[in-house]
Amino acid sequence: MRRRSPWLRAAAIFAYAFLYVPLLIVVVYSFNDSRLNAEWVGFTLDWYRKLASDTQMLTAAGNSLVIGLVASFVSTVLGTMAGVAMHRQRLRLLPILIFAPIAIPEILMGVSLLIFFVLLNVTLGLVSVALAHIAFCIGFVAIVVRARLAGMDETLTEAARDCGASPSRAFRYVTLPLIMPGVIAGALMAFTLSIDDFVITFFTAGAGTVTLPLQIYSMIKISVTPEVNAVSTLLMLLTLLLIIMAAKLSPSLFRSEGEAST
Amino acid sequence: MIARILAAAFAVGLACAGPAHARDELHLYNWNNYIAPETVKRFESVCQCDVVQTYYSDNEELLAKLAAGATGYDVLVPTSNAVQALIRGGQLKPLDKLALPNLKNVDPAYLNTPFDPGNQYSVPYAMSTTIIGYNDEKIRELGLPTDTWAVIFDPKYLEKVKGRVTVLDSANELFAAALKYLGYSANDVDPAHWDAAAAVIRKAKPYWAAFNASSYIKELTVGNIWLVHGYSNDIFQANQDAQAARRPFHILQGIPKEGAVLAVDNMVIDKNAPRPDLALKFINFMLDGRNSADLTNLIGSGNPNKDAMRYIKPEILKLPAVFPPPDFQKKLEQLKDLTVAQRRLRNKLWTEIKASK
Amino acid sequence: MANRRGRRMGAWLVSGPPLVYLLVFFAAPALIMVLASFRSPAEFGGLAPLVDEAGKLDLNVDSYVRFFTETVFMRVFVKSAWYAALTTLTCLLLAYPLATLIAKSSAKYRDLLLLLVILPFWSNFLIRIYAWMIILGPNAALAKLVNGIRALFGAGPVPLLFSGFAVLICLVYVHLPFMVLPIYANLEKHDQALLDAAQDLGATAWQRFWRITFPLSLPGVFAGAALVFIPALGIFAIPDILGGPEDTLIGNLIKQQFLETRDWPFGSVLSIALTVAALVLAGIAAWVARRGSGASRA
Repeated sequence: MRRRSPWLRAAAIFAYAFLYVPLLIVVVYSFNDSRLNAEWVGFTLDWYRKLASDTQMLTAAGNSLVIGLVASFVSTVLGTMAGVAMHRQRLRLLPILIFAPIAIPEILMGVSLLIFFVLLNVTLGLVSVALAHIAFCIGFVAIVVRARLAGMDETLTEAARDCGASPSRAFRYVTLPLIMPGVIAGALMAFTLSIDDFVITFFTAGAGTVTLPLQIYSMIKISVTPEVNAVSTLLMLLTLLLIIMAAKLSPSLFRSEGEAST
Repeated sequence: MIARILAAAFAVGLACAGPAHARDELHLYNWNNYIAPETVKRFESVCQCDVVQTYYSDNEELLAKLAAGATGYDVLVPTSNAVQALIRGGQLKPLDKLALPNLKNVDPAYLNTPFDPGNQYSVPYAMSTTIIGYNDEKIRELGLPTDTWAVIFDPKYLEKVKGRVTVLDSANELFAAALKYLGYSANDVDPAHWDAAAAVIRKAKPYWAAFNASSYIKELTVGNIWLVHGYSNDIFQANQDAQAARRPFHILQGIPKEGAVLAVDNMVIDKNAPRPDLALKFINFMLDGRNSADLTNLIGSGNPNKDAMRYIKPEILKLPAVFPPPDFQKKLEQLKDLTVAQRRLRNKLWTEIKASK
Repeated sequence: MANRRGRRMGAWLVSGPPLVYLLVFFAAPALIMVLASFRSPAEFGGLAPLVDEAGKLDLNVDSYVRFFTETVFMRVFVKSAWYAALTTLTCLLLAYPLATLIAKSSAKYRDLLLLLVILPFWSNFLIRIYAWMIILGPNAALAKLVNGIRALFGAGPVPLLFSGFAVLICLVYVHLPFMVLPIYANLEKHDQALLDAAQDLGATAWQRFWRITFPLSLPGVFAGAALVFIPALGIFAIPDILGGPEDTLIGNLIKQQFLETRDWPFGSVLSIALTVAALVLAGIAAWVARRGSGASRA
């Protein structure tokens, strides 16, 4: 019998409200007839019109999306491997390399990656940014996957091995579905971190590379106009759409072991 | 399945990411909103090239990125003290004066400065002063002066505006203002004078709402903040926004009689510039009066170009913070770059100020 | 025999790729900056050459000496740790009910509810903070409400904006999903049968939560705490935009060293100190967690 406590409901609703009131302001202010993001003046669609012809902002948004998808995909794969490895083996070096990028100040990492890329003569551009993003996202995925594995019943995996499955088959058909919610959670975090990163991106971007945060943060001292609200609103909707499409087309990917067979 | 979705997303992203350029490219690394869009378009049609702009929001970000070895930029727009640092660091390409016939348009008062004797590497682009910005309605009500730094530093004035004042979150700018207030030069490096300035700042700090260089203009424009230590361009812009929002007050610029900091931004060429020829063309183009005036008309920035004066809107020409009259000009100083030891001392004082109660 | 070798190979295949990637793209650059902490800053910015004009290796511990002698940095660090701890605790209190609700939802709604948690964070950071500046502004409803209540008790008005309160609210806001997602990922696998059995045996709702659910969710709680506390320790943008004159955190000081002061060696020292402190705290928390989980099994 599943009786849900009213307290739980109330607390959760409060949390959602906390999350969404600022977001509502963001969306509503994208229609604000004022250059500043500070008070409501009047309704206008001008900012969306301006966005439609602002190739630099659109390019920046596109770049951010591409880098975000690539970085979250690669870091999710590598992070899941790291999380599984840390859970199953007593490792010394990997945990440090997992936690340190989260702890290290971004500006240090940005400057040091730039020096590193210059030393290796790597051309700065979208690729250098993506490589940097992957480096700091891996840790987030690994920690979540490991937390998911903690206390998990490994007998299922061992049973699969005993039945003759190779390690990769056991992983793909037993372990992976079991940890999938952790993997998805990690991927979502990695994507979020990547599309909003400024400091590391600033240092590792090339002379012609713009991402959305680079474009927007440079406006910080003059005025972050509602055009930014507009592009953010559209980017959120686009990403939501992509994910809903992905979920509809491969529902098994998002389910945990209980619903996988349906 | 998932692969197909990712591929579709890639296609969307790449479509937005822009096609590979077939035309020549000039890479301009500049402050955001520090060149009028129509000027850029005009240059692109004149030179038959594309101007690829990327931005920084602080001289120090530019210096840090170049110091770590970043390349690929043609034209940079640093302030004079940053030009000094870049020259010392051997980061700039000398200018070929023969390719800059429009250099004669620049007011000689802004040429051949101690930062770059003979203008070997830089030419002036635009200027601003760091002054007082205020909400005329509120300040009139409270009967506060607006022509002295005392209104930012003296507790007897500050008590009337407690919590409604912001100062710039920049050690260099705030120390300069405090030094000017005490009657010293903004470039004074005597540690005893620095201690005195730090004491003045500490005494005033409890009355300030924030050390802020990013969102203070917004708050000034909507009337939450009434008095700021800020840049003349920003304060000009704030007034325009306040009028556009039909607010009952004006945001005005206050010229402190003790003097203020002048910031001259310059065009320079990076030593590893991929297209120094285009860079010179661009610099010469921007030295033409009409092109130079575009920016002033857009954001109210000061202009060192004599030929630009006839294209600038008369109401901007009248603003003393933008085009300082001779008596104010004498009290303006450009900030000089500090040595490592001096920067460390200043940082120590600044940290103690920020961490104190 | 072959199986054991196969197992070791398999272990390397799993831990190898992330290890190599992080060694190349994290450890190598980081070591460059660790070395930089022993060098001198160049006059104009960046680092002085490793070998000076006299041909000598220019290494020194000046920056470390400065770190240990100027106590102001310790004070700021303690303040940052305090803010980070408060943020983590508040995130936990807000995130746990949210994660529970999502985990207990039927499969149809679960993914949507989860996505709704993270969706706001795909908008840009700056405008979300600006939205908070609007909410916390002196003329907005919230400030009027709070100060109205304070007036009832005879207390003077306080600014909500440009204060420690504003910094804290935004710190919590920005880090909340990183607490919700790990806890959710853990709660999702909890077996309802355990709780039903406990209920049949007479356990109250609170007892079921405190003695079954919460201990089982501890790995998720610790993961979330790590992913909130550690980044919150080094944050600088939020105090920059809406902090008061006293809200300077260690992240701001580190940024200053790299930008305004152009003292990269000292910036490295501060960064190393911050990283080491964060790693040590994470290590202690992990050790406590392992001991705690061991005890509960007894």
